[in-house]
Amino acid sequence: MEIIVENIPRFLNAAWVTIQITAISVFIGFCMAIPLSVIRVSIRKIFSWPVYAFTFYFRGTPLLVQIFLIYYGSGQFQEQLNAVGLWYLFQSPWFCAVLSLTLNTAAYSTEIFRGGIQGVPSGEIEAARACGMSGVLLYWRIIIPRAIRIAWPAYTNEVIFLLQASSLVSIITVMDITGVAGEIATRSFAFYETYLFAAGLYLVIVYGVLWLFRRIENRLNAYLRAESA
Amino acid sequence: MQETSVVLITAKNLGKVNNTTEHEPPQAAVRIKDLYKYFGSLQVLKGVSLTAREGDVIALIGSSGSGKSTLLRCINLLEIPTSGEIHVGEEHIRLVNNRRKQTVPAEHRQVDRVRTKLGMVFQHFNLWSHMTVLENVIEAPVHVLKKPRKEERQKAMGHLEKVGIADRAHYYPAHLSGGQKQRAAIARALAMEPDVMLFDEPTSALDPELVGEVLRVIQDIAKEGRTMIMATHEMGFAREVASHVIFLHDGIIEDEGAPEYIFRKPASERCRTFLSRFF
Repeated sequence: MEIIVENIPRFLNAAWVTIQITAISVFIGFCMAIPLSVIRVSIRKIFSWPVYAFTFYFRGTPLLVQIFLIYYGSGQFQEQLNAVGLWYLFQSPWFCAVLSLTLNTAAYSTEIFRGGIQGVPSGEIEAARACGMSGVLLYWRIIIPRAIRIAWPAYTNEVIFLLQASSLVSIITVMDITGVAGEIATRSFAFYETYLFAAGLYLVIVYGVLWLFRRIENRLNAYLRAESA
Repeated sequence: MQETSVVLITAKNLGKVNNTTEHEPPQAAVRIKDLYKYFGSLQVLKGVSLTAREGDVIALIGSSGSGKSTLLRCINLLEIPTSGEIHVGEEHIRLVNNRRKQTVPAEHRQVDRVRTKLGMVFQHFNLWSHMTVLENVIEAPVHVLKKPRKEERQKAMGHLEKVGIADRAHYYPAHLSGGQKQRAAIARALAMEPDVMLFDEPTSALDPELVGEVLRVIQDIAKEGRTMIMATHEMGFAREVASHVIFLHDGIIEDEGAPEYIFRKPASERCRTFLSRFF
């Protein structure tokens, strides 16, 4: 027990790392997924096919392998990366962790929002076209807002999944919750207590994410709520 | 009298049309010539022509599958006709064949522009469910026509007043009855200040007791002298409000004329049979 108490500051730091890595990946992943999902539903294969290949790869391979490929794999291209001035980024475990998590969640989210886009009632799209909307305006004003609402519960799931998957980055020496727990456990042999505490920390963070996403969902879904007036 | 305001040219009816126009004839708001539409091998429209002059109220009647909806949807290019000519106001909508031999609009900008002049009311309302009624009404004027939001909100309230749901302006569509939804959809179409209103069976999805309130609103709009083309199963309404009635059967105009003609003594046997089911 003292071991935990002693190490609480380290655990809190680690929790912050986990939150940071997840939040940045989720944010960038979301910003990538929205346009990608639009391209993904394009009838033109030239556009939709590369996106499909991207999602197929990142959904079809284990996240751990992706992390290894980016972190260790990039080492073999040190010269080339140095030449374009990117090596200092790929040297950093933190950067490689965020990069692989971002690409991974972007792929999953793209497919989630694609489902949302395809779930938008065709009548509402037709009504927008009948008013003279098309292209970007049609997507921006009607299809994407509706698709996000439809896909939101599934997307919440993806964010929680990513939060937990972020524990894998401890393997490339990022000191997130799992990383710190591992270090403390192997030193003190108090595996049970440290990992239980780590699990508790994840639960608290997940609860926070659920709370935040529920709030957003309630706001997005005002149109479905029973009228209060 | 009303027959003179509408000129319909089909091979079949050429002789019947009374085309005596004194002075300046009202301009054609919509003119369609020899419209054909295939869905795969299914031929839905087989050479339909019609002209709607300003102020005309044209009712399209006929049984399900006769092509009423398709004809209406071709006017604003929600369906692309396989061949034929469409004129909306001054504009001739140019259609070309693409590489796969499909007919497509030559210029999508033109289609968007033409659509802003045609207000469409759908059978299933198709309100944007994530927006309130008021947001639905101002959406297209603000974002398509780029009009100032503040003025549009005021105008929108006027339109909602007219259709009798101003008190529901801040409700979401899910919280409205079918009749209220359809009236909101009519307000949305009016907000674009269209030259022509297209109604695609606007009361067919409504509970019988809600049909009346929607028809009254449409009738009020018709009285303002708006040009309207309406596919409908409401024969009583067509008889009272329309200036011209077109009976479609199997993709062609089987008979047409003033309501007094269509509902009293139509030449077409099919038209008589069809109408006998209603009266």
